[in-house]
Amino acid sequence: MAQPTLKSILGKRSETTAWLKSWATLTGTDITVEDNQHNLLFCTENNPENEPAYPVQLEDEMMGWVKGKGEAAIMANLLSLMLQKEADKKKLGSEVLNLYQELNVIYNFSEKLSQTIDPDIIAQLTLEQAMHSIPSTSGVVISWDEESRRLEIPARAGAALFDESLLLGNSHLLLKIGLSGQSEIMHDISFLKQKGIVESDAQSLIYAAMKVKHRILGAIIMTDKNADQYTAAHLKLLVTLALQSSAAIESALLFEKNIREVREREEAILRIHEVTKKFVPNEFIRLLGKTSLTDVKLGDQAEKIVTVLFTDIRDFTTLSENMTPDENFRFVSSFNERLGPIIRLHQGFINQYLGDSIMAIFPRQPVDALNAAIAMQIAVYELNVERISQGLPIIKAGIGMHTGPLIMGITGDEHRLDAATISDTVNTAARIESLTKYYRSPLLLSGETLFQIADQDKFLLRQLGKVQLKGKYKLLSIVECLNGNPEKNLQKKIVTSAYFTDAMEAYFEQDFKNAIEIFQSIMAIDSEDYTALYFMENALRYQQSGVPENWNGAEEMVSK
Amino acid sequence: MQQKILIVDDEAHIRMLIEQTLEELEDEGVEFLTAENGEIALEIIKEEKPNLVFLDVMMPKMNGMEVCRRVKKELGMEAVYIVLLTAKGQELDRLKGQEVGADVYMTKPFDPEVILNKAKEVLGIA
Repeated sequence: MAQPTLKSILGKRSETTAWLKSWATLTGTDITVEDNQHNLLFCTENNPENEPAYPVQLEDEMMGWVKGKGEAAIMANLLSLMLQKEADKKKLGSEVLNLYQELNVIYNFSEKLSQTIDPDIIAQLTLEQAMHSIPSTSGVVISWDEESRRLEIPARAGAALFDESLLLGNSHLLLKIGLSGQSEIMHDISFLKQKGIVESDAQSLIYAAMKVKHRILGAIIMTDKNADQYTAAHLKLLVTLALQSSAAIESALLFEKNIREVREREEAILRIHEVTKKFVPNEFIRLLGKTSLTDVKLGDQAEKIVTVLFTDIRDFTTLSENMTPDENFRFVSSFNERLGPIIRLHQGFINQYLGDSIMAIFPRQPVDALNAAIAMQIAVYELNVERISQGLPIIKAGIGMHTGPLIMGITGDEHRLDAATISDTVNTAARIESLTKYYRSPLLLSGETLFQIADQDKFLLRQLGKVQLKGKYKLLSIVECLNGNPEKNLQKKIVTSAYFTDAMEAYFEQDFKNAIEIFQSIMAIDSEDYTALYFMENALRYQQSGVPENWNGAEEMVSK
Repeated sequence: MQQKILIVDDEAHIRMLIEQTLEELEDEGVEFLTAENGEIALEIIKEEKPNLVFLDVMMPKMNGMEVCRRVKKELGMEAVYIVLLTAKGQELDRLKGQEVGADVYMTKPFDPEVILNKAKEVLGIA
């Protein structure tokens, strides 16, 4: 720090100069003032050349002289005093400047910290700032990871005066010096050198703990090749930087933790969503005009023309008799696992699993349901090939479908909701499915469904006449679809299909004799045409005991 | 000719801080002048023709803007390099500073290093 000079207090604009001049005039004293280089700084009109010179001193240093009679001695003392005051002022000023610079450092440092939320970057910024403000040969930041319970070095700077592996391996020692929550300038670092943690040419060491309340996050350690490098002011600044950095790291860690928790929660919600959509089909929710299950409420409903399809395993009761409940469950599951994807592939969705039967809805167009049913029959056939090779009995599945209006809605009460379908279409489809037992045909559809299928030529169809379902007045046309039969059976059916039409015509005209003859010739070609057999047996019965009154050809279905 | 720096601020500690910051220039023979308001500052600028002025904007008796305008526009002392100092957050003054002809504009709290480097640059001291 530069000391004040006589020149600096006796400048042209200085008040001291003005005061000196008026004092000399008032008292009629002749004086001169010279600095220690003999530069003349002040003189009255008459130069007192031969008078004694009185020294002006600042802390034992000769700063200049006042020449003149006796009064000049008082003036010399006064100027000494003023120099002393000026020196004090400068000293104070320099201290204020230091504080101001420190403030500025901390101010800029906080600004930098506020721009990052990465704990490692915060550690690096802290060390950079510390190395800049407190010149050191080498520095590291050591952090304590709560979760992994390990020490890490997220930042390093300068020459490598630390042995990092020893530093990390020696947590006991670190606990003593850096992680004890203390901060200090270490004068004796010989024990650190002996352990090899610090290189031998390090001479001084300073460290500050990074902590939040009483929790230790880590430490900043710096070392220098010069002895006595660090001052109390350095330690104070380092502690301030360390504390600021700790607060920033703490909030960064909290932020990371929050982000992680939010992500975990989101994933959990997503999983719940994934599961719920398996229980209540998304299509169902979409048909209600909603995007999510959470939007659905009691009383929501929508009406739409759909095709309802039922499948059922024939003689399931007999099949399950020989199975344990567990085997039973697995059998039904494996069956459903094969058919479910086929339904979805054809734009349908499963409304309900009812034990060994499935209820599916095809909202787009009836041909989707028919294509799905054919594919399902093929799948059952393939399953049977496997079962035969395993020595298991084969499975037969009946499929029936009907097209009509359907109301889908949310029913139940405040505490228990369920997705429900309320429709006569569902009942009718279920009954058509149960007809597959009577007609011994695996795939039946209603006239209403067939009516809405454009390319009927693509399918092999046989009209089975009309039925009157129990409790209903309206007659329902039943159509058999032969597609999905194994290839060899299909060939015979194609050959006999023209006869079948003729036979059914004769049957409905009550020409039972003719009908029986044609059915017999069909049976001669295809002994496995059980549908033909069914109608032939009916015809035989009517031939013997006559038809009921008002017989219109429709079968009256009394069961289901 | 001796180089001069004038420091103008109504707050004594700011004057002291700037003077202290620039202290090492004293060894280069630079003379420091100080003023505590705009009127005194204008007088000193006219008389002493300093090379560089650190001029606070918010001051009683003629603010820094006005001092700057008079020096640059009325007195035509273009050679006097003027650094305007304002408190942080008053950045709107920047445009006005350009209008009145200030050479550069700095905010308080200032970075001592920036102030010292600016002075060295203006005075041509390495």
